[in-house]
Amino acid sequence: MSIRLQLLIVALTTLVLPWAGCQYARELETALRDSQESALLASAGTVANALSAQPQLVFRDPDDTVPFAAGHGDWYVFALQSQPLLDGYRDDWGIAALPTPLPGAGGYSARAQLGSTGRYLYLYVEVDDTHFDPEPGNAHPERDRFDRIDLTLQHPDGTREFYFFATGAPGMIAAQSIVNGGDGEDRAVEEPRIQAFWLQTSAGYHLEARIPSSFVGSRLWIEAQDGNGKTGLDAINAPDGGRLFSMTAGLSRLLGTFIRAGTRATVVDANALRLGVAGDLGTLTAAGSDADTESWYRHMISVDTSSFPLQSAAPDRLAGHSVAAALAGQPHAEWVRGAANQELLLTAAAPIVIAGSTRGAVFLEQAGDQLLELRDRAVSRLFNLTLLATGAAFVVMFGFATWLSMRIGRLRDAAESAVSSDGKIRLDMPESASADEIGALARGFERLLARLNEHTQYLRTLGGKLSHELRTPLTIVRSSLDNLESEGLRDEQRHFVTRARDGTQRLQSILSALGAAARVEESIKQAEFVNFDLCELLRSAIGGYRDGFSKSRFTLQTPPDPCFIRGAPDLLAQLLDKLIENAVDFCPPAGMITVRLERAMGNYLLQVSNDGPPIPAALHGRLFESLFEQRQGRDDKPHFGLGLYIVRLVAEFHGGSAVADNRADGGGALFTITLPLI
Amino acid sequence: MKKLIAIVEDEPALRENYAAALARQGYSVKTYANRKTAMQAFAAHLPDLAIIDISLEDEAEGGFDLCRDLRALSAELPIIFLTARDSELDAVSGLRLGADDFLTKDVSLPHLAARVAALFRRIDALRRPDNAAAIVRRGALSIDGEKMQTTWNGTPVTLSLTEFWIVHALARNPGHVKNRQQLMDAANVVLDDNTITSHIKRVRRKFQQIDPAFDAIQTVYGMGYRWVE
Repeated sequence: MSIRLQLLIVALTTLVLPWAGCQYARELETALRDSQESALLASAGTVANALSAQPQLVFRDPDDTVPFAAGHGDWYVFALQSQPLLDGYRDDWGIAALPTPLPGAGGYSARAQLGSTGRYLYLYVEVDDTHFDPEPGNAHPERDRFDRIDLTLQHPDGTREFYFFATGAPGMIAAQSIVNGGDGEDRAVEEPRIQAFWLQTSAGYHLEARIPSSFVGSRLWIEAQDGNGKTGLDAINAPDGGRLFSMTAGLSRLLGTFIRAGTRATVVDANALRLGVAGDLGTLTAAGSDADTESWYRHMISVDTSSFPLQSAAPDRLAGHSVAAALAGQPHAEWVRGAANQELLLTAAAPIVIAGSTRGAVFLEQAGDQLLELRDRAVSRLFNLTLLATGAAFVVMFGFATWLSMRIGRLRDAAESAVSSDGKIRLDMPESASADEIGALARGFERLLARLNEHTQYLRTLGGKLSHELRTPLTIVRSSLDNLESEGLRDEQRHFVTRARDGTQRLQSILSALGAAARVEESIKQAEFVNFDLCELLRSAIGGYRDGFSKSRFTLQTPPDPCFIRGAPDLLAQLLDKLIENAVDFCPPAGMITVRLERAMGNYLLQVSNDGPPIPAALHGRLFESLFEQRQGRDDKPHFGLGLYIVRLVAEFHGGSAVADNRADGGGALFTITLPLI
Repeated sequence: MKKLIAIVEDEPALRENYAAALARQGYSVKTYANRKTAMQAFAAHLPDLAIIDISLEDEAEGGFDLCRDLRALSAELPIIFLTARDSELDAVSGLRLGADDFLTKDVSLPHLAARVAALFRRIDALRRPDNAAAIVRRGALSIDGEKMQTTWNGTPVTLSLTEFWIVHALARNPGHVKNRQQLMDAANVVLDDNTITSHIKRVRRKFQQIDPAFDAIQTVYGMGYRWVE
C-alpha cells in the first residue's frame, strides 16, 4: 500500500469531525429543548399565578367549585367566530366537535350544542324522532302532546324562565313562554326575541335557536319531549345542573397580554374544558424559505419525533399528559405532534390554584419548528465547516503524501540507478540536503555509495596493480629457473625445473588476463580511426579462428558488398576475439558458432551466436559489466569477467553498443554489437 | 677482451640473476642499484652495453634520466630498457630517448642473452665493410642482417632491435602470414598480442615517415601479418 493511500486512510479519521458535530448538534438540540421547556413552563406558571389571583376573570362563578359534569346537564358554550344563519344546520358554526347527547334516559336520542358570539347564545338540538307531532293550536305544554324542546333559562338576575320551542310546520319560529293570564289560566305566549328555526329531517328534527346574551345567566336546562317521553334535565329535577361553561372574551384578552407571538395560551377548567384561548402558533413561513436546506444530514441527526404523542383534536377540551398533570396539581411540559400537520409542538401546563384547590390549568403551546430551524441552521453551518475542514485536511494530506512519495520515489530512482551498468557509481543523492529523515536516508545512501565506490575502485585497479606488482617476483623466479637450467642439471632435477617453469607460465597468463582491460583502455586512448571494410576483417578473422579453434565450427554471413566502417581495426579485431573466445567457451563440442553482419536502421549489426546454453534472464544486463563472472565450471584459463567488458568498451568507443540475449529459437546465446555506419 | 655490461636494477635478486646469466655468456658484468652509483661509475668508465630498469629505487622514472645522461656521454653506446612496465607510452618514451631496445621483464634469460649478442654483433658489423650476402632486398626495402640496418628507397629506417627482427621475419618470406607467436620467436621476445600490434604500428609509422604510401605490412585479422610487395 502506497504512502499516499495510507495517509488518505489516516485522513479518514477527520470524518470524526462531522460526526462529533452531529453529536454536538444533537446535544445542542436537547439542551435547547430543555431550556425551551423550562422557559415555557415558567411562562405557564406565571400566567397561572396571575390568573389565580383573579378567579372572577376565569370563571363565571368563581365560588362554584364543582367541576363540569355533562351528566348533570352542564353545558360548554363554544365561541363562534361569526353569526350563524338560523337554518337548522350547524355547518356554519365552524365547530368540529359533535353535539353532545342530552343527559338522562328518555324516550329519544337527542343531542345539543351551544355556541356564543358574545351578543347571542346559539342553541342547536337534534332529536331522533321519526314521528312528527305538530303543535296543536293554542296548545299547552302541560296538557298537550306534541314535539317540543323545553328550555329553562336562568337570567343574570337569578330568576328562571321556562320556554319551549314547538311548531305546527317546520320553519322560522319564536320561543314560547307560559304566562299566567288574568283568568287564572296559563297561556303560551311567543317571546319574539328568541328566534329559532325548526327543520324536519328524515331522522327527526333539528332546532337552531338564537337567544340574546342578556337573557342568559349562568345556567340553562334543555329537554326534548313529546307524548312518548322526554330526554334531558329540567330545572326542577336538577336544580344544580345546567351550568354554562364557556370561553370568556375577557379572559382571552387578558391571556393575550401574557403571551408572546408564536405561542398559544389556553386556560382550562378542572375538566380540561377551554375557558379562554389567546395567541396564534404562527405558521412555518420563516422556515419555508429554507425548506430546501432541509438536507440529507438532517436524517443523520434528527431526533425521532414520531414517537411523540399526537395532540388531541377535541375542540372543547384539552387532553394530554401536560394537562392531566397540571390538573393533578403538577406543572408539566411535553413535546407533542400537532393533530393536523404532525408539526412539532411544545406544550406546557401549570395548575391554577384557588384557595388551595386546583381549579384549572394554563396550557401553553409553542411551535417546535422554530427549534428545528434553529438547529438546522446551526447544524448545516457546522456541517459545512467540518466538511470544509475535512476536505481541506484531505487535500493537504494528499498533497503532503504526494510530495513525500515523490521525494522517496526520487531517492529510490537515484538509488536504483546509482550503480550504472558500466560499474560507475554516482555519489550524489537527491534530497541529501533535506534536514528530515528522508534527507538522513539520502545521506546514508551517499555514505554507503562512497564506501562502495572506494571498494569498486580498489577492485578495478586491483587487477592492474596485481599484474604489475607480481611481475617482478615472477621474473625473479623465472630468471632463477633460467640460471638453474644453465648450471647443468641432472635429468631428474630438470623435471622439477620444467614443472616450475610451467607454473610460472600459468602465472604469467593469469597476470596478463588481469591486466587486459587496463591495456585495452590504454590502447583505446591511443587508437586511430581509419576507414576499412568490416566484411574483409570478419572474413580474415574467421579464417584465423577456424585454424585456432579446430573443435568448433564457424559460419560467417555478410552482405555481398563491402561494409565500410570508420574505426580502429585492431580494437574491433580484439572485440571479435573476445566474443569468439566467449562463444567457444560456451559452445558444446561440434556446436556451430555463427557470425553475422547486416545493416539495419543506420547501423551495422554484428551478431555472434552459439549453440551453448541460454543466458539466464537475470544476467542479460550484467554480462558486460567489469569484473562480472558467472562461469560455474573450471577450465585451464583464468576468467576475471573482463572479456565482455572489453567488448563493450570497444563497442562504445566506436559509438555503438553491446547486448546479450538468447536466440529466438531458444537454442543458444546471441550477442549483438551495434556499430554506426559511416 | 671481455665486453663490459652494466646492469642498473634496484631489485637485487633480479640483478644478480641477470648478472649471472650474462656472466655465463662470457661477459663481464657490473651491477648498480640506483642512478647515482651507476652515473658515478659511468662517468669514470663507460660500459660496452647498459641494461637499465626504468624505476630505480625511489625514482619512478630514474631509468629515463639515466638513459638521457648516458646518451649524452656516448652516442653509440647500446642501451636496453628492461622493465616491468609494459605500457606503450613507456616503450615510446624509452626508444625516443635513444634506447636500442625496450624489453619487458617477461623476457627469458636466453632471449636477453640473444638480444645482447645481437646488439654487439650489430656494432661489430657496422665497423666492417658491407657483406652483400647478408643483405635482403624486397623492392624498395633492403635489410642488412648483420649490421641490422634497414633502408627504404635508400633512406635508413631507424628501428629498434625488436622492430628490426619483426621486419626481418616478415620480409624474408613475402606473402607468408606470420602469426604473433612466430614474430615473437623471431624477435627473441615474449610479448602479448597488444605489444606485437603496437610494434607493428610503430614500424609502419617509421616507414610512412619516409614514404607516406607505404603499406607493405598487411594485417591478417585473427592470424597475423604478412609482407606484400
